[in-house]
Amino acid sequence: MIVEAGQLALTFAFALSLLLSTVPLYGSFTANQRLLLLAKPLAFGLFIFSAVAMAALIYAFCTSDFTVINVAQNSSSTLPWYYQITASFGSHEGSMLLWVLMLCGWTALVAQFSKALPLLLQGRILGILGLISAGFIAFSLFMSNPFARSLPFYPVEGRDLNPLLQDFGMIMHPPTLYMGYVGFAVAFAFAIAALMGGRFDSVWARWVRPWALAAWLFLTLGIMLGSWWAYNELGWGGWWFWDPVENASFMPWLAGTALIHSLAVTEKRGTFKSWTVLLALSAFALSLVGAFLVRSGVLVSVHSFATDPGRGLYLLAFLLVVIGGSLLLYGSRMNSVRSQARYQLFSREMLLWGNNIFLLTACLIVFLGTLFPLFHKELGLGSISIGEPFFNQMFYYLTIPFALLLGLGPWVRWKQQQVMPLIRPLAMVAVAALIVSLGVLASMQSVQANLALLGMLLGAWVGISALAEVMLRLRQFGSISKGITKLNASHYGMTLAHIGFAVLVIGVAMTKTYTTERDVRMQQGDVATVADYEFTLTEVYELNGPNYGGQAAELDVRKDGQFVTHLHAEKRFYRIQRTIMTESAVHARLSRDLYVSLGEELPGDAWALRIHVKPFVRWIWLGGVLMALGALLALCDKRYRRKQTQREPGAEHA
Amino acid sequence: MRKVLYYLPLFAFLALALFLLSGLFSDPRERDSASLNKALPEFALADVMQPDKIWTPSELKGETYLLNVWGTWCPTCNAELGYLTELRQQGVKIVGLYYELPRDPAFDAPFILAELQKDVQQKLQQQGDPYQFNMLDIDRSLSLDLGVSGAPETFIVDADGIIRAHHIGDINPLVWRSKLAPIYQEWRKP
Repeated sequence: MIVEAGQLALTFAFALSLLLSTVPLYGSFTANQRLLLLAKPLAFGLFIFSAVAMAALIYAFCTSDFTVINVAQNSSSTLPWYYQITASFGSHEGSMLLWVLMLCGWTALVAQFSKALPLLLQGRILGILGLISAGFIAFSLFMSNPFARSLPFYPVEGRDLNPLLQDFGMIMHPPTLYMGYVGFAVAFAFAIAALMGGRFDSVWARWVRPWALAAWLFLTLGIMLGSWWAYNELGWGGWWFWDPVENASFMPWLAGTALIHSLAVTEKRGTFKSWTVLLALSAFALSLVGAFLVRSGVLVSVHSFATDPGRGLYLLAFLLVVIGGSLLLYGSRMNSVRSQARYQLFSREMLLWGNNIFLLTACLIVFLGTLFPLFHKELGLGSISIGEPFFNQMFYYLTIPFALLLGLGPWVRWKQQQVMPLIRPLAMVAVAALIVSLGVLASMQSVQANLALLGMLLGAWVGISALAEVMLRLRQFGSISKGITKLNASHYGMTLAHIGFAVLVIGVAMTKTYTTERDVRMQQGDVATVADYEFTLTEVYELNGPNYGGQAAELDVRKDGQFVTHLHAEKRFYRIQRTIMTESAVHARLSRDLYVSLGEELPGDAWALRIHVKPFVRWIWLGGVLMALGALLALCDKRYRRKQTQREPGAEHA
Repeated sequence: MRKVLYYLPLFAFLALALFLLSGLFSDPRERDSASLNKALPEFALADVMQPDKIWTPSELKGETYLLNVWGTWCPTCNAELGYLTELRQQGVKIVGLYYELPRDPAFDAPFILAELQKDVQQKLQQQGDPYQFNMLDIDRSLSLDLGVSGAPETFIVDADGIIRAHHIGDINPLVWRSKLAPIYQEWRKP
């Protein structure tokens, strides 16, 4: 019954999304205020019905209703209850419904927080979001129905959730990531609404900024959680694999990062308009392309859902309508928009332009690296694969100039900056960065001209520069204590996010350089020494979990004879799916991780173990968290909540 | 000129869509094997059960057969043993290429042939024995030359020692009927 109610709710949601995508838009072109006013209630209704549909699906999973094909294939009665809930979005069908729910959620949020917007613009934005929802709900309803039953014949037990997905990281990763992907739909809708005949000015940019920031915040967290999950679950200590699907999430992130910077220029200086609009379109377009890549089966990846050309064709047609349509609109409308602001060669505008160039180059590299094998094959040139070395090298070359610019950027004024006043503070920052880097590496007794030194220098340069810059701004208010409450939240947000980037760069460079890993053969009582840590295998015993068996290993870790920690690593065998999973044991500290994964049983009562000591690996995720926190701080800025004046100088019709 | 510039993103996207469309209709797992339609590389490998016996390509000529790369450590290989045994009973000649796990010097476990023989014998008794014989690719030289990326993989080699098919993954009734059987029939000498 409940399942049918869910199906019905989804159908209602579809009907509402069709209404939302037509009525207000029609109203906006015929200047019919009553039709425009309908947008808001329709958006709320859409959200409520999609939420009911998701709740019904979760209910089906929690009650182990195996007459529902989706439940039978992705859950089992032995699965713990919290994984039963997450299993509801572990499959293609369920994750599509989650995607729909998130999209409708954003739509409802826009409806709620758009009081300051002119009614016309509000109606158009919600209309476009309705159109996108209609496309995805139709896909869910007609191409991949999560509620489909297999009556009259149904299994008595489900096939269980893919063990890879039975992890805390997996509970958090997809919803956060989808919030980010789908969140860019809002910036997209703002851009389309303005292209339909609104204005591109600083007011428009100020409206878009918080939405773009919020989407970016979720995407950052989502990617970071995914990386953390892979580190814990895949058992070989990697945190980024340049897998096509990871790349699919990284591309909108790069475009989104460029967008939030470009929006700053459009808001503050009323320029970079065509650029900003293109970025707003591409951030969401890349999310859609990513969704297509994952769900159509054109690329092979650990993340791919089961493939079905019908689904791929539908998504491609949808892509053509949404992306093709928006880019057509862009081409026809944008050439009449002019930016009139003037700026000099050495100005914040130019530096942010540089930022965009680097981010888009990075995005292009990821794009080509991901799709080149496909192009190559479709052109009849045979199969090739592009892997880590390509991406790593490219990003190595990109990060150096990018970080150097990033350290400089916040110091430079809009319009024009004199060189002389910056030399002294920046020289001091550079000296401080040098001292800190050498100091840290000297304390580890390894000052060498290597990647770690480079990463430390770049990270320290960016981080110290960001700190020094914020101090300078605070002093401009008279004294630091006076300034602390006066500086806007968005400035703190920027500083924090830049420090996050610095932390990330240091983490990557240190981990890459100083990770020690050994594969060892150990019997009970054996001691293996890795990077000054002595790992003693104290015990290996049989595991007996709710839906898995396997072995667990207990290890004691000592350094210089001092007890450091106790580690517990598991090798699980999931009975229903017949899959082996590694649960690595991790002892995390800011300065290093101890990482042990249990491998095969070897002849003679021995075990293969993989032991890593990974310095600074935490910094990679810490950097991501700081960036996300920075975005959160910037979101709290007062000016996004102030009642906005309708007209500002620099306004212009598109 | 400036006008055209704004349409560039659209053109780029349309070109991409074209590739994605054609990509939809080809299987990304399908790879063109480099060894296809070439003679089997030279080798001299010992028999797993009788290490004195050395197999070379010329001894294998004269009949179309399947060269199946496998190992007892590989669960998927074990899963396909049953169906392969059925194929043997239908008269398909299957030769095993035993793919030994790399021995990490850190494990310093010496290679003991007798233990391997025991493992193999036990496994084949349990799951069925599809093989005429097994060759031991101890340093993986033949696997490397063949472009084997893992186990299980299967090659169809014709009577003249030319490789006619390269299949990655397990062989099950579906794969056999839809993909491998037609090739096998085509190259099988009457």
